[in-house]
Amino acid sequence: MDELGRLPGIGPKSAQRIAFHLLKVAKEDALRLARTIVEVKERTVLCSTCFNIGIGERCAICGDDRRDRTVVCVVEDPRDIVAVERTREFRGRYHVLGGALNPIEGVGPEQLRIRELLGRIDTDGIAEVILCTNPNLEGDTTAMYLARLLRPLGVRVTRIASGLPVGGDLEYADELTLGRALEGRREVDA
Amino acid sequence: MTVVTGHNGAGKTTLLEAIGYASTLRSFRGGQKEALVRNGATRAIVRADLADGDRRALVEIEIDPSRRDRVQLNRQRLARPEDLLEALRVTVFTPDDLALVKSGPELRRDYLDTVLETARPRLALVRRAVDRALRQRNTLLRQAGGRLTAEVAATLDVWDTQLAKAGDQLVDARRRLVDALAPPAAAAFGRLTRLVEPLELTYRPSYDPPLLDALAAARPDDLRRGTTTIGPQRDDLLVACGGLDARTRLSQGRQRSAALALRLAAHEVVTDKAAARPVLLLDDAFSELDRATATALLDELGRLGAGQAILTTAGPVPDGIDAALVLQLADGRLTPVPR
Ligand SMILES: [Zn+2]
Repeated sequence: MDELGRLPGIGPKSAQRIAFHLLKVAKEDALRLARTIVEVKERTVLCSTCFNIGIGERCAICGDDRRDRTVVCVVEDPRDIVAVERTREFRGRYHVLGGALNPIEGVGPEQLRIRELLGRIDTDGIAEVILCTNPNLEGDTTAMYLARLLRPLGVRVTRIASGLPVGGDLEYADELTLGRALEGRREVDA
Repeated sequence: MTVVTGHNGAGKTTLLEAIGYASTLRSFRGGQKEALVRNGATRAIVRADLADGDRRALVEIEIDPSRRDRVQLNRQRLARPEDLLEALRVTVFTPDDLALVKSGPELRRDYLDTVLETARPRLALVRRAVDRALRQRNTLLRQAGGRLTAEVAATLDVWDTQLAKAGDQLVDARRRLVDALAPPAAAAFGRLTRLVEPLELTYRPSYDPPLLDALAAARPDDLRRGTTTIGPQRDDLLVACGGLDARTRLSQGRQRSAALALRLAAHEVVTDKAAARPVLLLDDAFSELDRATATALLDELGRLGAGQAILTTAGPVPDGIDAALVLQLADGRLTPVPR
């Protein structure tokens, strides 16, 4: 129960409910869940190109040749990729920063995968970078920082349109709103 | 006017504090959140049933010092705390208001920002952005340890831009607010004191705008000290009378009248800008006033027109107050006093 209670979104009551449920179900059902967890944990790795979660060296999106490699959507977290994919508005590729600039939490440019992003500009022939960091102060600041780095390289740099709930997380935005924000993206004046 | 009587320590101020909290999610007494929770309890609950004409609203707040307040309006979880200000606005008078004139600039900045947010709740977002950007910038300055590497410079550049954007907006709003407060404050002060010399309010910034340029100029200094030395967090509101700084050059009686004038002016400006009359919370407001000032304050409150007012007092109902209802507070219960 203690182990279950450590999972995100699981309070003590839910932990108890799940624990009793697992005691009741057939042994093979419980073992299948256990095996799946082990398997996922052992096989998933971060994509060496975009740092999305995937199985093997490259994630499913980087491995899909139909996806436009010249347009890259920059997000803070792999969960944000799920949110953008849900909109079905985006046919390019991604880059996961692993957070946002946040001195209070000890995050500076060195702690983010910015050098890796810069490295992709030439190799992948990137023409446009869409900055999809969260619509809060830290996300906006990170977008501004990246725009100032990228624009001198001759890349078109855009930011998802405002209209998303301010101070919110991308992953909680509904797909319609996020889809509109993507479509209405504008060039950043940094 | 509703008058609440009770012995000292009966909880009269706590009652007003709770009403104020249901509007601003802050105590007008300041201090830590822990102080709001009864000893031995883990949390405090504030519940306010608001009626304005035929509009009703139920505010419910759970205060737990270990996390953010849980706020519900009409049983719906409230995402943005400033939305509470749309449901309830308050103007508070307390004997502690003297400090507004007498003490350092922090209380006066807080006075301005509270009035701004009460008049225009959306400005709470700007103030929060300033606070947050400032904390981030100060942390970055400390982390830099006085050395300006290329990376620190580039990171500071973006935090400066963010702080400047929100900071210029906040200072601009404060300046316009001071312009709006000055005439009613001067008028009220004149009537309270019968002085010929007018009360003067002036916004005194800590820098020459725009803030972005000022931050760039202050950067070497800021790096050395590990903190942001200029900006909205260093500005002040100067209160003067006939050219004399009220902070140091006025008698305590006049300082008290200046503080009352600031509160009265705030009430007028909020009523005007928000098109809603704040509830007046008068915490023992007459206790420290001489007779003439008390009478003059009553006239002032009369001028503010219809609206709800709640006065607490340890003694009898002050002379000249036309109380619609007198309540006795004892053992945590309010009972009407028959008259
Ligand atoms: Zn990938």
